[in-house]
Amino acid sequence: MIILDNVSKTYDYQVALSNISLTVEKGEMAFVTGPSGAGKTTLFKLLYLAEKPDEGTLTIAGFNAADLKDSAIPYLRRNIGVVFQDFKLLNNKTVYDNIALALRIRGIVEREIKERVHSVLKMVNLRHKADSYPLTLSGGEQQRITIARSIVGEPTVMLADEPTGNLDEENEKEIMKIFKHINNKGTTILIATHNRALFENTAKRVFLLEGGRLVKGEEK
Amino acid sequence: MFSLRLALQSIFKEKWMNILSMLSIGVMLFILISVAIVVYNVEMLTAQLPERLTLVVLLKEDVEGEEIKAIQTAIRADQTVKSITFVSKEKALEDLKKVFKKDDFILKGFGENPLFDSFDVRLKSEGVKKDEVKRLIQNIKSIHGVDDVEYGEALMDSIYALKGGLRALGLSIGIIFVCSVTFICYATVKILFYRHKDEIEIYKLLGATRWFVRVPFFMEGSIIGLLGGAIGSGMLLGFYSYFIKKLMVDIPMFTIISIPMQFLYMLPVFGLFLGLGGAVLALGRLKY
Repeated sequence: MIILDNVSKTYDYQVALSNISLTVEKGEMAFVTGPSGAGKTTLFKLLYLAEKPDEGTLTIAGFNAADLKDSAIPYLRRNIGVVFQDFKLLNNKTVYDNIALALRIRGIVEREIKERVHSVLKMVNLRHKADSYPLTLSGGEQQRITIARSIVGEPTVMLADEPTGNLDEENEKEIMKIFKHINNKGTTILIATHNRALFENTAKRVFLLEGGRLVKGEEK
Repeated sequence: MFSLRLALQSIFKEKWMNILSMLSIGVMLFILISVAIVVYNVEMLTAQLPERLTLVVLLKEDVEGEEIKAIQTAIRADQTVKSITFVSKEKALEDLKKVFKKDDFILKGFGENPLFDSFDVRLKSEGVKKDEVKRLIQNIKSIHGVDDVEYGEALMDSIYALKGGLRALGLSIGIIFVCSVTFICYATVKILFYRHKDEIEIYKLLGATRWFVRVPFFMEGSIIGLLGGAIGSGMLLGFYSYFIKKLMVDIPMFTIISIPMQFLYMLPVFGLFLGLGGAVLALGRLKY
């Protein structure tokens, strides 16, 4: 579950977000959209605590950001899976090691890591690419690896910032299919996108940001 | 285990920079340990100095019998004295003749024996300080019947001055080189950290704690220091085997040089701690 109550963020007197209040229910999949500079990326930075809000309260995966000490942030992030437009994969490590990293950070034993990594690779249909390096894969495949890495730790919330930004239509559909599959298992998902095609024919809620303000948060 | 793997991967990935750091550390630790060995040897030699130094107590011409025994008893009573031997003027002349060998005719020109009765006084090796030797000499000189005391004062003063100077030099070089080795590890780890900045950013997003990020760098610093120390030990072993040993054969004076072999094991451990210290300093103030 994600709750923002009157959240504001300002950078050098430039308002990035102003009085944002929104709720994404547990197990819901919702979208955040808006033009470039609307504040989508700032909103996501607040959600995975790369930044802290100047005003308002933010609750995610059961943690209240205001009460959270810096030393507790890593533990919150283990409950949040994040997918980026630029993938953020380690190019000098194999697909297997990239995904396993999320579990090694948690101190999980290698035998369990092996089982879980192969399980998520199977889910994104890339089991045969376990020993490949990211740069030998297509953009769509790299994004599927990023998704696999973000869900291998079984997070309760998943954030995806422009997950299909660099992908063609076919890969876009494939990625959205995976998100739906993950959502069906009960994971709360919030996707930031300016691609209307992703949410136009769905019954999901869409939050529209413009100039740092929440213009619309509708039930479709 | 995973941290160690990351540390080793990083060392191999940046191998040329790390090899250069290790070689620099190796050379510095070798110089440091060489200075330590020189100071150690001078300490060892000067520790034996009082024992090797014989005080010759010359008696006045008219001292005889009971008075000689009284002087001997008074000198022996001093706690710094190891042994005291009476040398009669006849024995001294015999000894002198042995020194001159075939040229002993020179002594015949004197007619009667020109030498005096004397005592050879040897000092204990442990715990005898320069000031105590001077005090003993003053005490002996004040004994009735003693004419003079001969000893290598100038030699002893020079050796003690050399010892003091070497200690100060050793300490200065030690501090400079310890700081230099720590700085090399500090700089190496800091560079490695910045080269891995994108990787660290990803670790953080996945929920890595500060310790998870730091430990591989601490290990890296320690390994660089350890291997640098091992290179220093190798240099010391090579220097000893191919240089000092040959010198000992060619110039017998060098046989007095002693190299404690425990230095060979100590150096890598010392390097490890300096490397760890450098890494801790490098990451100490970084915010990530």
